[in-house]
Amino acid sequence: MGIFTQLTINGLIAGAIYALVAAGFSLIYSTCKFIHFAHGASIAFCGYFLYFLFSMLHLNFWLSVIFAIIFAGLLGYGMDLLVYKQLRKRKASPLILLIASLGLLIFLESLILVLFGADIKTIGFIRVTQGMEFLGARITQLQVVIILVSIILFVLLFLFMKRTKMGKAMRAVANNKEVAEIVGISSERIYRWSFIIGSAIAGIAAILVGLEQNLEATMGTNLMIRGFTGAIVGGIGNVPSAILGGFLIGFAENYGVWFLPSGYKEAIAFVILFIFLLFRPQGLFGIKKLVHK
Amino acid sequence: MIEAYIIHLLILICIFIILSISLQLSIGFAGLLSLAHIAFYCIGAYTSALLALAGVPFWICIVLAGISAMIFGFLLSIPTNKLKGDYLALATLAFHIVVYAVALNWTGLTRGPLGLPGIPRPSIFGFVFSGNLSFLILTFIIMLICYFIAKLIISSPFGKALGAIRDDELSTKVLGKNTFKMKTYALGISALIAGIAGSLYAHYITFIDPSSFHLMQMVPILAIVIIAGLASLRGTIIVSIILVLLPEPLRFIGFPSSMVGPMRQIIYALILILILLYKPKGLFGKIKLG
Repeated sequence: MGIFTQLTINGLIAGAIYALVAAGFSLIYSTCKFIHFAHGASIAFCGYFLYFLFSMLHLNFWLSVIFAIIFAGLLGYGMDLLVYKQLRKRKASPLILLIASLGLLIFLESLILVLFGADIKTIGFIRVTQGMEFLGARITQLQVVIILVSIILFVLLFLFMKRTKMGKAMRAVANNKEVAEIVGISSERIYRWSFIIGSAIAGIAAILVGLEQNLEATMGTNLMIRGFTGAIVGGIGNVPSAILGGFLIGFAENYGVWFLPSGYKEAIAFVILFIFLLFRPQGLFGIKKLVHK
Repeated sequence: MIEAYIIHLLILICIFIILSISLQLSIGFAGLLSLAHIAFYCIGAYTSALLALAGVPFWICIVLAGISAMIFGFLLSIPTNKLKGDYLALATLAFHIVVYAVALNWTGLTRGPLGLPGIPRPSIFGFVFSGNLSFLILTFIIMLICYFIAKLIISSPFGKALGAIRDDELSTKVLGKNTFKMKTYALGISALIAGIAGSLYAHYITFIDPSSFHLMQMVPILAIVIIAGLASLRGTIIVSIILVLLPEPLRFIGFPSSMVGPMRQIIYALILILILLYKPKGLFGKIKLG
């Protein structure tokens, strides 16, 4: 029983992070319709930027967090403006955008290595505590914070998509760009804001991870892989189902440790992705027509 | 000293040409955007290294390296045959990550992150290719063979049909071609060539570990194929040479050696993005991607 609750809690914590990444990823995919691999770079850069402000410049922690999130949003905006928008102007196919995003990911990840070096960094704002007992399992305060923050964010994101004008416009562009443009929605403006919001959410995920674990240049790629696997498993064109998918991946990885060595964690997510791509590319909760364009 | 350095570069260029020809066959000639070629390269390298360490002669190692990569190519192609565009890219990426995880974690076979040291230099009928010059000649000959095989395939009716599949799969099907079979063969042959490149790499460096087969390694060869342009073999060779040589000056302008790797990736990634922006058909290509 103890192990089961522990794995469930671990799955929930990992799932919360993956779901945040998946939410940003699917927000961008749903409007822009291409796979933004460089989402991982937004994650890693935001984590390192927080490290730079808080641990190197010794700025106030909360101020650093706010700046880091803004920075992640700006990074997403910059990538859209400098690369993706230019490619869209030249009528590039989604495949070209995908290759460009892979290039961006490697470019930014290598840039982190050049700027900060390859050694592992710790932010060290919160000391590792023993944690509290909960049904025979252990959970630290920080982990409770991770779960709470992500749930609050999901509720806010849901309200944003359902209630605000911008959120509705995003769903309209995601559904049918041409019709959305006819009623006067600027799709370029929506693309821009999906990148800013999606990357800022990724930045929040990076901060939560960075507080709990160490920073590495490749952390973004690892999280991004889980995030988009979650997004596809849930249904990539729809933010709430991507969030559910992110949680599913978190649980699958942690229960999988029961049967497999923990090194195979990443492979578990990818075997699931492979199976879904083959048999249910629209995801668990997705609608078929969104996928086959 | 300088001679040894030039020979080293030439060997690397030959290995990169083989690997890029393999990726060009898949992306350029068959229209299959694969991110799995480093995985095939990895499978070839490990197959060859493990067999050689068990005492199997080199020429059997390299043939089996190609064949095992080809079998995995078939295995990957059969389920993913219907996928197109970015979904195919994701599925092949998934394949890569799984292969990488197995190389890292199946310590009983691959020794995991410790890697496999002491891979013997190739020997054929008693002649050992221990010097780098003799190894260069061997690599060059194998590169030529791969080039001519690729050329043969492209100019054959099979190659023309592959091009037709790339441009319009449905019409090709209507003409009565078995596109399923052809795409499977194309990926299989392409994987075979990547496996051979892997085998050469393993026997040249004499040490392999999973980090040599990280996803990052995909960027240089993807950059070569995109910069050369789709369906251009000549371009692939020219661009392979340029891209291998391009970051070399970094070594001489006093960069710390730990920075050379990331700087190289930065250069490749930047060139890739710039080409996509300003010359999306590549330098020698005639076909638009996607």
